[in-house]
Amino acid sequence: MQRLERNWNTAIERIKTWARTNSPWVVHFNSGSCNGCDIEILAALTPRYDLERFGVELHGSPRHADVLICTGPVTRQARDRLLRIYEQMPEPKFVVAIGSCAISGGVFQGCYNIVGHIDEVIPVDVYVPGCPPRPEAIIDGVVKLLGKLRPSPKPVIEEPAG
Amino acid sequence: MIELAALLFFPGGLFVLLNGMAYEWVDRKLVARFQNRVGPRWFQPLADNVKLLVNEEVIPENVDARLFITLPVVALAGVLTAALYVPIAGFDPAFSFEGDLIVTIYMLSLLTMATGLAGANTRDRFSLIGATRTLTQLFSYEAPFLLAFLAPAVVAGSWQISEINDYAGDHLWLILTQPIGAIVALLGLMGKLEIPPFDAPEAETEIVAGALTEYSGRGLALFHLGRNVELVAGITLLAAFYLGGISNPIEYVLKTLAVLFVLATVQTAVARLRIDQTVGVWWRYGVLLVLLQWLALIGAEVIF
Repeated sequence: MQRLERNWNTAIERIKTWARTNSPWVVHFNSGSCNGCDIEILAALTPRYDLERFGVELHGSPRHADVLICTGPVTRQARDRLLRIYEQMPEPKFVVAIGSCAISGGVFQGCYNIVGHIDEVIPVDVYVPGCPPRPEAIIDGVVKLLGKLRPSPKPVIEEPAG
Repeated sequence: MIELAALLFFPGGLFVLLNGMAYEWVDRKLVARFQNRVGPRWFQPLADNVKLLVNEEVIPENVDARLFITLPVVALAGVLTAALYVPIAGFDPAFSFEGDLIVTIYMLSLLTMATGLAGANTRDRFSLIGATRTLTQLFSYEAPFLLAFLAPAVVAGSWQISEINDYAGDHLWLILTQPIGAIVALLGLMGKLEIPPFDAPEAETEIVAGALTEYSGRGLALFHLGRNVELVAGITLLAAFYLGGISNPIEYVLKTLAVLFVLATVQTAVARLRIDQTVGVWWRYGVLLVLLQWLALIGAEVIF
């Protein structure tokens, strides 16, 4: 009986993971970037790259989205807004930080109006480096995120040796 | 027992839901191909809806929680009821009575009403604007849409969908004898489904997602499924009335897919109308066209 229940639960979990990995809806937020990364994100969503074939859809409302795609360093003004958007998203939610500024503050590091990089404010799941990263890199970042959702025998991102 | 099976599995319930998701995929794939894209995979609507159903449902502050939770269910129930009275998959409607055409058309409107109420229930500016636009649009297309569907009923001399279906099957296709009515019915269906050019209520470039902005998880999934079922019921009704009736599954697939192809083509080819333009189009041209159709019908009755 317990085994049956465990099998049932595994099956349900598998269906959930399948649905989530095949339908990541994204919401895009610029927390203070120079717009370079935003242009690349929009380029990734155009018919040229056609993310709809992987089930990715851009949604305006954070309530509809599963993945928050975030660009730029966090300015003091944007901090509360970023937090609010993150809190508005339904569970489970994921964050992808796009570009050098989102990872470290980039050229804006140390500015008087900057709080810092994105994971000082909200937890980040995947970082995509580049200034700006190419659309292929952004797509790769989202694919890596989906890979993290699947239970896989080997880790997706290898730690550098030494 | 058989009635319960008809309600839950075939031709109502489960079958209509799966059919609706399949047709949503066909629609999205066609639009993608028209835009020179690859388009979504065949299971995409299923994955979307399962994902939304298992996600958390956020109930925002300052809403009536009971209403917030009930409205999606009412919307889906309304369109599922409507689907029971149309000849899904080419079989006779699961339930039928004299006058079910009116009931079906009003059940299809229930989804729009529930969407409007859902938007008005949440205290969000985008939802409120979306709800206003949804209801404004409902009042503009509803009368011409209803008149366009009543014309075949008058010709067939019955208010029962199955009898009009039989009549359409025995006579010349009504799209040839009533071309204006067919066009108005098709455009009315596009207005009902809120697809371009009548997508001002959910214009994502202006008002995020319209009335459904605050919905997440289960509620959003139920509204999505409701939209899919409405698509199936609407194009089945259209094909049954204007494309020479539906009497077997092959005819059903061919004729509904033909209507869906026209819907996808028109929606790719045109841009969005502003809400005042939508109202203008319907009350200035839609109503006049359908009244012209009625005049022609009455003239034909008097002469012959």
